[in-house]
Amino acid sequence: MLKFDNVTKRFPDGTEAIRKISLHVPRGQFCVVLGPSGAGKSTLLRMLNGLTRPTDGEVILDGVKLTDKTLPRLRRKVATVHQQFNLTPRLSVAFNVLSGALPQVSYWRAGIGWFPAALRAKACRLLDEVGLTPEHLPRRVSELSGGQQQRVGIARAFMMDPAVLLVDEPVASLDPRISRGILELLRRQSQQHGATVLCSLHQPELAREFGDRIVAVSRGRLVFDGAPARLTDAVCEDLYHGALNHHDPDRAEQLPAFAPALETVSA
Amino acid sequence: MKTSMSELSANRASEWRLNPPFNARHLLIALAALLVLAVTGARMEVPRMLYETVEAVGYTVGLAEQSPVATGIKRVAESVWPLRISEETETARIENLDRNNLPWLARIEIRESREPRMNTATLQIEETVERKEVLVKPIGYLTHVLAKMLETLEMALWGTLLAVLLSIPLAYYAAANYAPNRLAYNASRSTISLFRAIPELVSALFLVLAFGFGPIAGFLALGIHGAGFLGKFYAEDIENADRNPQEALQAIGAGKVKTLWYGVLPQVLPQYIAYTLYILDRNVRMATVIGIVGAGGIGLELKGRFDMFNFGHVGTILLIIFLTVFLLDRFSARLRSRIL
Repeated sequence: MLKFDNVTKRFPDGTEAIRKISLHVPRGQFCVVLGPSGAGKSTLLRMLNGLTRPTDGEVILDGVKLTDKTLPRLRRKVATVHQQFNLTPRLSVAFNVLSGALPQVSYWRAGIGWFPAALRAKACRLLDEVGLTPEHLPRRVSELSGGQQQRVGIARAFMMDPAVLLVDEPVASLDPRISRGILELLRRQSQQHGATVLCSLHQPELAREFGDRIVAVSRGRLVFDGAPARLTDAVCEDLYHGALNHHDPDRAEQLPAFAPALETVSA
Repeated sequence: MKTSMSELSANRASEWRLNPPFNARHLLIALAALLVLAVTGARMEVPRMLYETVEAVGYTVGLAEQSPVATGIKRVAESVWPLRISEETETARIENLDRNNLPWLARIEIRESREPRMNTATLQIEETVERKEVLVKPIGYLTHVLAKMLETLEMALWGTLLAVLLSIPLAYYAAANYAPNRLAYNASRSTISLFRAIPELVSALFLVLAFGFGPIAGFLALGIHGAGFLGKFYAEDIENADRNPQEALQAIGAGKVKTLWYGVLPQVLPQYIAYTLYILDRNVRMATVIGIVGAGGIGLELKGRFDMFNFGHVGTILLIIFLTVFLLDRFSARLRSRIL
């Protein structure tokens, strides 16, 4: 369904966020991208919705190569749930959800906020599915709690029946109790709507619990790829221990490189 | 190596220096600023202003013998008071006056006045007694001023509307993150600067030549200047708006215009309303003086009365302007608090 083929992303300042990653996620899979902050998870996801373009390699979505020409068409198949929810703060819950279908709505309808009845019904259904009530519809999203905001974000993501759902650290700014609910919701929704999910997380426990498959990224490299059961505590220890040093260049030099060890695991 | 690192930083900590937040360069800048203030202050006659103000205060409390400033203010205050709100018209000048059915509140009075007049035959100034029958409308002048004020408000309203309409496309192209290319960006930015650079009074002067006397020139001048102001501020708010919601809409391919409408506008709306209300407020104040160049509104009346030394009338006009601006201020404050 979605495929990275030897993808590299180098930023103008010379840092390599992604180094030669190849990854194939089959249709319907809930694939978790695990890794510490700054490992390149977000960059990997952003290459699928075109917010970032790879320096090298190819991104293939549903058999179509992602280029400037195909991007507008492919974007309609891809929805994103963001770490900071990325909702428009002063806009109502209803309009935030409806804005998820903006590419399908004509300019004048979008301009006066008169979305077609089918889309309005869909927005209500999705909000019901994510566990919000009709009282929430006219409220500004900034008045809702973090968990509720993320639920609105999920409802918005499903407005255009996405084939691919990108989920970027959906629970990084939520407390653990709510996190579980949000991830359960994401799993249920993506199954119900038949979406392929690429979800980045930094908590190994959650990744093991909710992923069909886990890939781990560290310093822009793919260092683990396998079933949740194969993600042992030792692997996590290595991943995160190494990550801490990643931010401390003085100490990183002294410790044994962890990446080769992990590569053997994935092999 | 780990220990040596921490020892090293411990050694360094004792050698830390926290410098005062200013240095010789700041002192130099302060001296330069003082010099500029001294030179410009002398050119602006600041010392004379201070001396004469103190003198006026001294005169008021009985310490100074005389003060030109205090006498000037006194003379103005005496001539403004009492405010003139009635209107008198010679009955001889009114066509078809129905004496049995006078206008509301109006009455007919006889005025006797001694006026020095130039005898056109002898070219001498002679004192003549004149008897005039006049129609007195007790609040006639007040209603006249209020009607002029209404016209002024209408000018301000249309000037604001025009400013908003002009500034929307200008702001779109002047926002660096929405302009389609560098050329459109620069063209829009320079148009905005140009609009803002022309003062209303100056553009009204030219527009009066083009459209003739009346409110058209007035509200066009207000609209153009306002667009220069609003375009700049709208654009800068678009640029500074939170990028996250815009990114979310961009990621699904919503397009620039829809992203602006759903991702940016709700965020910046409170500021936009504040700017627009400020422009309305400013336009009301400007509309009162713009009439001086013939562009409609209360300004022409004000200038005419001022030139004729009718300070009682001027007082009424100024009071009405003050009340209007005050009420508008209250109104916009309430409007803002309801919308925000």
